[in-house]
Amino acid sequence: MTRVTTEKPATAEELAKRLREAADAGSAVFPVGGGRAVEMGDPPARDGIEMRMGSLDRVIEHSQADMVVSVEAGISLEALQAELGKTGQFLPLDPFNSPGHTIGGLLATGWTGPLRQRYGSPRDFLIGIRVALPDGHLASAGGRVVKNVSGYDLMKLHYGALGTLGVIVAASFKVFPKPLHDATVQSRHTAMDEAWAAADRVLGMPMAPAAVELFSDGRVLARFLGSPEATKRMVADLGWTKAEALGWKKHSTAAPPKWARIAAPRHRLRSILDRLGRDERWWASPGIGVANWEVAGGAEDVQAVRAAATAAGGSLVLMAGPSEFRHDAGAWGTPPATLHLMRRLRSAFDPNQVINPGRFVV
Amino acid sequence: MALEHAVLEDLRRVVGREHVIEASNDLRIFERDASIEGAAPDAVVLPATTAEVSAVIKIASKNRIPVVPRGAGTGLSGGAVTIHGGIALQVTRMRKILEIDPVAQTALVEPGVVNQELSLVAASHRLFYAPDPSSQKACTIGGNAAENSGGPHCLYYGVTTNHVLGMEVVLADGSVQWVAGDAPDRIGLDLCGVLVGSEGTLCAITKIKVRLLSTPPSVATLLAAFSSIDAASQAVSAVIGRGIVPAALEMMDKVTVGAVEAHYHAGYPTDAGAVLLVEVDGIPESTRELMAAVRNVLAENQGYAMREAQSPSERDLLWAGRKGAIGALGRIKPNYYLHDGVVPRSRLPQILSAVGEIGVHYRLPVANVFHAGDGNLHPNILFDLRDRDVLPQVESAGEEMLRAVVELGGALSGEHGIGLEKNAFMPWVFSADDLDAMRRVKDALDAHGIMNPGKIFPDPQRKAPHLAGRTGLAIEAKWW
Repeated sequence: MTRVTTEKPATAEELAKRLREAADAGSAVFPVGGGRAVEMGDPPARDGIEMRMGSLDRVIEHSQADMVVSVEAGISLEALQAELGKTGQFLPLDPFNSPGHTIGGLLATGWTGPLRQRYGSPRDFLIGIRVALPDGHLASAGGRVVKNVSGYDLMKLHYGALGTLGVIVAASFKVFPKPLHDATVQSRHTAMDEAWAAADRVLGMPMAPAAVELFSDGRVLARFLGSPEATKRMVADLGWTKAEALGWKKHSTAAPPKWARIAAPRHRLRSILDRLGRDERWWASPGIGVANWEVAGGAEDVQAVRAAATAAGGSLVLMAGPSEFRHDAGAWGTPPATLHLMRRLRSAFDPNQVINPGRFVV
Repeated sequence: MALEHAVLEDLRRVVGREHVIEASNDLRIFERDASIEGAAPDAVVLPATTAEVSAVIKIASKNRIPVVPRGAGTGLSGGAVTIHGGIALQVTRMRKILEIDPVAQTALVEPGVVNQELSLVAASHRLFYAPDPSSQKACTIGGNAAENSGGPHCLYYGVTTNHVLGMEVVLADGSVQWVAGDAPDRIGLDLCGVLVGSEGTLCAITKIKVRLLSTPPSVATLLAAFSSIDAASQAVSAVIGRGIVPAALEMMDKVTVGAVEAHYHAGYPTDAGAVLLVEVDGIPESTRELMAAVRNVLAENQGYAMREAQSPSERDLLWAGRKGAIGALGRIKPNYYLHDGVVPRSRLPQILSAVGEIGVHYRLPVANVFHAGDGNLHPNILFDLRDRDVLPQVESAGEEMLRAVVELGGALSGEHGIGLEKNAFMPWVFSADDLDAMRRVKDALDAHGIMNPGKIFPDPQRKAPHLAGRTGLAIEAKWW
C-alpha cells in the first residue's frame, strides 16, 4: 500500500481527533495493528496516513471471576493470552500468519483459526466494542457482561468490516477456562477420498472435536479438549497416532505469499477444493466450511475457483498477495445483493470514505 | 387514530378481508405483550406470505403508518406493543417449518413457528434448537430472532444470535432481502448480525435459517439447596471460577421455590434459602466427570440436599418447575413485573441483596428465578393490579433495581430486550455518542421511522425515568 505519512496516536481520543482532521482535509487513514493482514483487500483508492495502533495496548480490565476481559485494540494476541494465562484462562483464537496480530486487527479482518470449530469466532464472544469515528467521536456498544441485548449489536457490524464503519479502539470479550485436557491426534492418507472420510469420521464423534484440519497432502489433524476421561475415550476410539499439541502453534504461522480464503456451506467445501489440481497446496477446516489456499497461479486461476465457490453458495477472499495480483484478481469477488444497504451504513459512519478507501466491499 | 378507509381497503386487498382486524373491541386483544404497558393498534394485519408482508409494509411506508411485527406476544419488554398506534403485523399465520436438513444440521422456518415445536420436530433427527426461553411452548422463532432471546441453556450454547445463520427480511420500504446464509465468512458487512436483536425497529423477519445441534448422548441434572441466596451466589461464582461451564446453571429463591413446589410437586426443598439447578451434558464420561466436579464445588460452598434426576421424567419435572416458575408465582399475587438486568457474575451477591432491600423498601414481595451462570437476573416484583396506586410503586421498584444493576457495571437487559420498558434508561449505560451511532443504523435502514417506533431509543414524547437526575454515567466514563 502507498502511504504518505505514518502516525502513532497515544490515546483513543487523539486517534479520533486525527480521524476528524483527516476527514476535514479530505485525506485517507489506514489503521495498522500488527501489520499481519495489511495485504487483505483491494489496493487502496488513494494515499493517506498509516495509523499505527501499537500505543493503544493496555489491558483495561481482566476480571477472572467474571471471565471477561477488556483491552485496547493495539494489544497483541500473544500479550493478551499471557495476561489471561496467569489465571488459567484464554481467548480461543488461533489465527494464521501468527504471531503478531493485534486484537483490533483480528476484529477488523475477521481472521480466525482451527479452534473456531469448538468456540466459534469472535463474532460469538466479542461482547463490547469502542470505535473512533471519522467525525471525531468515540462510540461504544455492548458492555462487559456475557449476555446483553441492550441496544443494537454493533459488535457484529464492526467485526470483519475492515474499519470501514470506524476504527476499533477497544473491545471486551467473554473468555474461557483453559481445558482440563488437551489431546491432538493425526492420520495420514494417500487418497483424498480417505482423508475426507477421516475428517467426516472425527467430526461425527460423540464428543465433538475442538479443531479438525485437513491438508492437501492427505493429513488430518484433530484436537480434543475437555474432561480427561472423555478425551481419552475419543482418542482411543479413533485409534489415530498421537501428535504434539505444539503442532497447532506451528500451523498458526502458516502464511503463504499468495493466499486465498475459501468459505462455503461446510458440506459443499469439498466440491470446490476438488477442482484444484493435485499439486495445489491448501489446508481446510472442514467442520467450519473454510479452506485456505496457497495460490500458485495467477488472477485467472483465482477467478475460476471463485466462480466455483460462488456457485456453491460461498466466497473466495484474497488474504495476501502483491498489489497487482490483488488488483487483477479482485480481493472480494461479486458483491452481495445487499450492497446498497451496506453502502448506506458506510455513508452513515464514514461518508467521505476516510478509513481504508477502496479496500473493502463498501 | 383509526386508519383511513382507503388504507384499510388496500390492506384488505393484500391479505384478504378476514385478515384485517380493525374493530376496536377486537383490537384490545392485541394491545399488550407480557410486559406491563399496553396500547391498542389501529389495525391488526395477518399476512400469510413474504409477498404479503412486503405489500403491507409498502402501504404503511407510503402512508407513514407505524408497523410493529408481532409473534406470540410473549415478549417482556413491550417490543410488540403499538405504543404509537399503527399496524400490528401479526405473523402467526406464517408458521411452517419449511425445511430440516439433517446433513447440514440446519432448519429453515417461517417466523410464526413456535420455539418448542422446532425442537420437537428436529428431535426425530436427533437434533435440537438450542435457545430455550421459558416461554418456549408459546413464543415464536421470529420473535426470538427479533429480541435475540436467551434461555437457561444459553450459558453453554449461546443466545439466539449465535444460532441464526441467515434471514429473509422485509425492510421499511417493503423490499425483501436475504441477509447471510449457510456459508461462514460472507462478503461485506454483517447485516444479519445487527438485524437479530433489533426488536422490530429495522425490519420484519419473514424466514429464519437456524443452526441445529446434535442431541447430547447423556445429560445430568442436579438440584442443590443452600441456606441463603448469598451462599448460592458464592457457589455459582465458585463453579464458573473453577473453569466449569455447565449447560445450565439456574437459581431460584425461597419465595419462588415455595410457589413452584406447591404447583409442580417436583421435590424442590421448600425450607432452603435458595436452590441451584445445574445441568451438564455430553458423552457419559464427560457428564460423569463434570457432574462430580460440580458436586464437589457445591459441597465446598455449603450446598446440601443435592439430588440428581434419576430419569428423564424426573429431569423434565425439575425443568417444568423452573420454566413454569413465573406462572406458579400467580399463587402469591396475580401480577408480576419482571426485569432481566445482567451483572458481572461476581456481583451476584451484591445485586441480590440490593434487589431484596428495594423490595422491602417498597413493601412488595420479590421472587428471584434466574440464569445465575450468566449473571442474568430475573427479579419478579409481585403485585395485585387491583390494589390502588400500586403500579407506580412497582415501576419505581423496578427502576431502582435496574439502576443498581447499572451501578455494578451491568447491562439493562440480558435477553428480554429494551423495547418500551427500558428505553428511557438507555442513557444510564450509553453516552449520547453511543446512542447516536445506533441511531445512524436506524436512520440508514428506516429513514422515515415507521418500523416499531418508540422502542430502544429514549422517546422524547414519553415519560423520563424517575431517577433522571442521576443519569449521565455512561459506560465510557466508568471503564473504557
